[in-house]
Amino acid sequence: MGEIEELRKEADSLKDQITAARKAVQDTTLQEAVASITVVGRVQMKTRKTLRGHLAKIYAMHWGADAKLCVSASQDGKLIVWDSITTNKVNAIPLKSSWVMTCAYAPSGNLVACGGLDNMCSIYNLKGKDGNVKVMRELAAHTGYLSCCRFLSDSEIITSSGDCTCVLWDIETGTQKTIFAGHQGDCMSLAVSPDFNFFISGACDFTAKLWDIREGQCRQTFGGHESDINAIGFFPNGNAVITGSDDATCKLYDLRADQELITYQDSGIMCGVTSLAPSFSGRLLLAGYDDFNVNIWDALKAERVGVLAGHDNRVSCIGVSADGMACCTGSWDSFLKIWN
Amino acid sequence: MKTAQTAFKMSGSTQEEEELPANHTGPKGVINDWRKFKLDSVDQTVPQSKRELLRQMSSQREDDKERLTRKMSVQEYELIQEEDERCLKRYRKQCMQEMHERLSFGPTFEAVYELESGEDFLEVIEKEHRLTLVVVHVYQHGVKGCEQLNSCLDCLASEYSGVKFCRIDAVATGAAERFSPEVLPALLVYKAGELLGNFLAVTKHFHEEFFATDVEAFLNEYALLPEKEFTACADDEDEEGDVE
Repeated sequence: MGEIEELRKEADSLKDQITAARKAVQDTTLQEAVASITVVGRVQMKTRKTLRGHLAKIYAMHWGADAKLCVSASQDGKLIVWDSITTNKVNAIPLKSSWVMTCAYAPSGNLVACGGLDNMCSIYNLKGKDGNVKVMRELAAHTGYLSCCRFLSDSEIITSSGDCTCVLWDIETGTQKTIFAGHQGDCMSLAVSPDFNFFISGACDFTAKLWDIREGQCRQTFGGHESDINAIGFFPNGNAVITGSDDATCKLYDLRADQELITYQDSGIMCGVTSLAPSFSGRLLLAGYDDFNVNIWDALKAERVGVLAGHDNRVSCIGVSADGMACCTGSWDSFLKIWN
Repeated sequence: MKTAQTAFKMSGSTQEEEELPANHTGPKGVINDWRKFKLDSVDQTVPQSKRELLRQMSSQREDDKERLTRKMSVQEYELIQEEDERCLKRYRKQCMQEMHERLSFGPTFEAVYELESGEDFLEVIEKEHRLTLVVVHVYQHGVKGCEQLNSCLDCLASEYSGVKFCRIDAVATGAAERFSPEVLPALLVYKAGELLGNFLAVTKHFHEEFFATDVEAFLNEYALLPEKEFTACADDEDEEGDVE
């Protein structure tokens, strides 16, 4: 028993040291730093396009790097690749499982991936020689559901899973290159840094972790949320991380200061955050809530400046295009809409 | 602090008040949809013992820490299998139908209401049912476009009975300085006490002559009007492969 007590004391002392170190570098607060800046005016976005074709709730969507094509995954068991300008369906890919939780578009535009309750990440080649889209690889090794996946390139992809781990895969061989273990709860979401050297994961242990992809290690852990982190994203310059949680708040953490800068909350909001996307400049934060509502926040002043899809609460997922020109929302009524 | 999850967990399975139970979106949304499918499905391959397990997992107890961090149990993973496409189709339609019904529940209105004072205005914004959309037209006699807009709204009020259309004379608001003729007619859209849309001098978005359909289209661009009726999407054509 003595040894456990010793270790516990050591752990507590280390935690105190971390807290002290963080306090030591905190020379100001975000509120003070932006005191002279005025809040962004009301944001009212218009629907520019409606993408029709799915037959059930949209579970996830992801923009391609060209900011024109995007892929969506629906409860109807299909992945559809859309041309968001013409609203044409470029590909309609039937999936083995209807319970798909995530989809991703490779930066090259050659591949898409998806996964869900089948515990696997399936990779599809959109540019096959005979023009047909088929499964290229099925990455199977996770012992839990596949909550999120993001491509690093055509040969590498990172997945997060309900088995509490994230994995870097070699797509060619279908094997795990690195396993990122450390979270104490289901991993719900991940995002890759703009320079592709790091990724962050949010989990049901209420923490977010920053991982060094090549070294395979957790570099930083961010706490403070009072419930599961469902959504996570990088601030556009890569120096900060934004998380969305079941505790109805979003938080902004600065990587260099290793601490939380601000919390986006409102006493009127009692619903968990399940998706988020910063605008191109990072000044606006679009947060999707579990009641199908989307709030638009002024990221610096932490004030709500609008709602998206004002009337009906319909939004089940959101994504902002790489060039910042538009945002796409998926809905429980099977449609996707493009806004700006 | 209570998490949003616990706040909604208590609502159980019957919905008179239209509170959405937690976890409809994201990966947890998928898990809950799957659980509901397994419980609801006529497919009798799910034995009674497993149904009980699914029911338990759907209403997680706060005191069980292990359950909190792990969202699916080992037994549940074992229940995942090939599913009957017909059952799935039925389930998907049912999901959307339920959501539509949930959102169309609420009071109905017949015509445009004339608000007489600033207090009336505040009352209508704050007291309406939280699902009811409130559209307020601030007008003034003699200002161009107001009369046209009024007749458009009379039209829309009969088509969208779930939306409360109102109008108020700028002078009656008690805030006439705010509503000077240059910014009129103005359309303000509220729901559950919150300002969703603020369109001053709204007629600048329309041509000289405009009709109810133009106003309708304008509000629809901002997704501010409800769907007129639930149109079931064509689910009898199965698309396989590429579609260009």
